[in-house]
Amino acid sequence: MDTHAALYQQGKARLDMLRQLKARTPHSLENKMMENEITRRDFMKWSASVTAMLALPLPFSSLVAEAAELADRVPLIWLHMAECTGCSESLIRTDTPNLDSLIFDHVSLEYHETLMAASGWQAEENLEHAMEAYKGRYLLAVEGAIPTANNGSFLTVGCKGHTGLEIIKHAAEGAAAIISVGTCAAFGGVQAAHPNPTEAKGVHEVIDKTVINLGGCPPSEKNIVGTLMYYIMFGKLPALDMFNRPKWAYGARVHDNCERRGRFDAGEFVEEFGDQGAKDGYCLYKLGCKGPYSYNNCPTERFNHHTSWPVLAGHGCIGCSEPNFWDDMADFEKPLGRQLLHGVDATADTVGAVILGATAVGIGAHAVASIFAKPLEE
Amino acid sequence: MSHSATHTRTLIFSPAIRIFHWFRALSILILVITGFYISWPFLVAPESNDVQVQSYIRFAHLVFGFLLTAVTLVRFYLFFFGKSDIERRSIQDVLSVKSWLVQLRSYLWSGHLHKAGVYGPLQFVTYAAISFAALFICITGLVLYANVYHLGMGGMMWEPAAWITAQMGGLAEVRIWHHYLTWVFIIFTVIHVYMAVWSGIRFKHNSVDSIVSGYDYHKK
Ligand code: HEM
Ligand code: SF4
Repeated sequence: MDTHAALYQQGKARLDMLRQLKARTPHSLENKMMENEITRRDFMKWSASVTAMLALPLPFSSLVAEAAELADRVPLIWLHMAECTGCSESLIRTDTPNLDSLIFDHVSLEYHETLMAASGWQAEENLEHAMEAYKGRYLLAVEGAIPTANNGSFLTVGCKGHTGLEIIKHAAEGAAAIISVGTCAAFGGVQAAHPNPTEAKGVHEVIDKTVINLGGCPPSEKNIVGTLMYYIMFGKLPALDMFNRPKWAYGARVHDNCERRGRFDAGEFVEEFGDQGAKDGYCLYKLGCKGPYSYNNCPTERFNHHTSWPVLAGHGCIGCSEPNFWDDMADFEKPLGRQLLHGVDATADTVGAVILGATAVGIGAHAVASIFAKPLEE
Repeated sequence: MSHSATHTRTLIFSPAIRIFHWFRALSILILVITGFYISWPFLVAPESNDVQVQSYIRFAHLVFGFLLTAVTLVRFYLFFFGKSDIERRSIQDVLSVKSWLVQLRSYLWSGHLHKAGVYGPLQFVTYAAISFAALFICITGLVLYANVYHLGMGGMMWEPAAWITAQMGGLAEVRIWHHYLTWVFIIFTVIHVYMAVWSGIRFKHNSVDSIVSGYDYHKK
């Protein structure tokens, strides 16, 4: 509890400091909530659930609420590299804006290619201005992998034709903290899958600063906003796991909290899509669920306003929050043991069985020859 | 009527070595079978899900996994620090090109190596390799274990397990290597059993029974 008390003080001090800073717009979060018919009560519920999600004790929920209101004091620059914008979509594409998307709207978003009105020279200017004006203070979020082959020339952005590699290095220099949003920015994603002709890499591999990796293709809106909230609240990085993912979100495997886990332990497996087992909610392991190898909070936080997540919808987890998942977790609808090996198009078991067969033939031949061989004379 | 013995016998394998050998054999057998079930659960679902089939099999896998881990560690210790140096002496043959040639020819029915220790050079290298394979499969197994049981021993192993997971590129890689290594054990076992039987027949000593009784027999 002592460490929590210290953390609370730290958060308090940080928020007091933020309060001194100028708000980006006079349009407060309260106004925005009113416009969207989100009540104070919803807001308190949201604060409490974010607090719980971040694995903080309940008293912190007042800090979360305060941090949400002060989010417009924290400059955020959001860059798009080699990607599909699905991560931004995960956050902003909601039919009714909920608090997560509203907070994102409220953050002092200085630059975001999908959302900004500016284009061309003006956009470039905005970016340069933001990086200069908030040097050392801005939060940098990156979506997408960084192609590095040919000096990064496989990705150029904007009217000046800077490569992604140049932009990211430059932007990282002045950033107070860097968040890789999604598996591409974190680990290279599909761009970095075999054979990776552009030598695409995760952000942390091309710069030498600590990067928070939000694995997921896409990560849930909860994980993105939770990470933003943590930074706004404390001004520092949360505890990170072995791949620099926040522990509060990626501390447990999907399999650990999956609602079908009881079926797994009982040995009740769906054998094919649409069979009786599938209707009864059996475990999807035999249809390739990679939940046992994937760290994420999908079963507890879900997606789209906590509506559903892949396993609930009836398809196995594809392990999208893990490094190199396009290669490692293939085939998505077969368990790992039945993965086809690159180059031979056979499973490890087939290869093993063939070697075993060859061994048996060799042994047979040796044994037969031994019968006819000259006995050993000593 | 009395007749004198035609053979002398020498104790080559201490009781500890024999016991551990059979513990190893048993655990490998059970680990391979239960491991293949874990990889592809081939049993039909039970009548009631009070019967936790998958859990029981995983439990057996872990019990024998820990047995194998313990034996692997003790065997490494015994190899280096055991009283008898009969295993260690074989290193002389491993370092001698001549011993290699004589040994390999003897497998092709010509001649016989008079070994410095208990193992031939190829045999020694194979056993060393399988011991390291055992070490590796135990380590990957323990990493997987730390992810299934988060408290107690699993919890204690969490930090090193996470470190190894990161080095191997994720939990999927750990599990894939664990699976590949399974085949190393299957193929080793088949060759190993054949060679043990064959050497006993061919060279008329140091056959399968020495790992049961501990004795090797030589003609007087
Ligand atoms: C000769 C030794 C062993 C063999 C042949 C073996 C075999 C296997 C196989 C084939 C799998 C399934 C992999 C897949 O998904 O394709 C597996 C899983 C596993 N093994 Fe082993 N294993 C051995 C030793 C161990 C040891 C020493 C431990 C640890 C004490 C261990 C713990 C595990 C665990 C925890 C799993 C995963 C279970 C789960 O995720 O629920 N294994 N093993
Ligand atoms: S559906 Fe996937 S995550 Fe859920 S219990 Fe089965 S294997 Fe684990």
